Amino acid sequence: MTLVSIVQSIQDSGVAEWMRTSVKAMPIVEAIHVLAAATVFGTIFIVDLRLLGFPDTRRSFKRISDEMLQLTWVAFGVALLTGALMFAANANTYFVNTAFRFKMLALLLAGLNMAIFQLVTFRTVGAWDSNSRPPSAARLAGVLSILVWATVIFFARWIGFTKGFQFEAPTDVNFQF
Amino acid sequence: MGGFAESLAATSLSKTIQGVDWIIPLLQSIHIITIGVVFVSSLMIALRVMGRMRADEPFAVVWNRFAPWMWSGLVVMLVTGVLLVVGEPVREFTAISFWMKMALLAVAVVATVSLGRVFASAARVETVVFRPGAKVFAGGILVLWLAIIFLGRAIAYDVEVWGSLSSTPSPTHESSP
Repeated sequence: MTLVSIVQSIQDSGVAEWMRTSVKAMPIVEAIHVLAAATVFGTIFIVDLRLLGFPDTRRSFKRISDEMLQLTWVAFGVALLTGALMFAANANTYFVNTAFRFKMLALLLAGLNMAIFQLVTFRTVGAWDSNSRPPSAARLAGVLSILVWATVIFFARWIGFTKGFQFEAPTDVNFQF
Repeated sequence: MGGFAESLAATSLSKTIQGVDWIIPLLQSIHIITIGVVFVSSLMIALRVMGRMRADEPFAVVWNRFAPWMWSGLVVMLVTGVLLVVGEPVREFTAISFWMKMALLAVAVVATVSLGRVFASAARVETVVFRPGAKVFAGGILVLWLAIIFLGRAIAYDVEVWGSLSSTPSPTHESSP
């Protein structure tokens, strides 16, 4: 089974059909997606700011991170579910959409940044947990996280402005009617 | 209002926003990123009132950490929101969701200012457990934000969401999602 045929079967599924034909499904699912994505960004932003050492460093990094990331994961799960529903509705179009692909790439980079932070920098958290100025590797992870998540949101919004008419018009086609 | 919308759409600023491909998606992206900052700041304040987040810190500390970000975020949203309205005045002014959003926004801002005035001074010194009425009030503000975010996305789907109540001529999301 090729990737293209998997995408086609997603588009042909019952839930995709429901997303396309139900009048209110798309606006409701989109609104929940925006809310979930904004919550993902907002909660991660608080953790990132703590990594950068402001605006309030009386609370330790680990404490803020533990408090926020449980909200982040719930919101991320909701965003993933609603995003999958939106993708299913027009899977073929999204699959070849450049903005969609860049969004997925940015999501991958966000995950990579988080994984590197978790596996490398976070191992020494005991040494800097309460510091108002975490080490430079941690601050770099914070800056990258803010930039990459903002990029995810930008490409996500861009998709809506390209969907359906993003193609190069062929110049060497002879139409025969 | 229709005449005003059309004359606004004829201004050079509006024509620039309409004419340059990336301006509206960029403005919408900044708007959504800022929703994350404002909504999560408001969520943190509400959860503190409910005793579910940072219950070990005095309310005033939590308020002073998040309220400035909330107000600054609202200013950014006001600026990007006004530019989006100038760019697509007919789309916004004919949408029921737009006017409901503006009305609920005014209520949410007044309610949040009141919450800060009443509790940030009264609870400055010590950690306070709030009365059930205060928790309901804080929860109500959160519900308002959820409704505002939903209505914001629903502007693009006025006919689908409001049916015959909508005065928008045709589904608008085809031209501007």
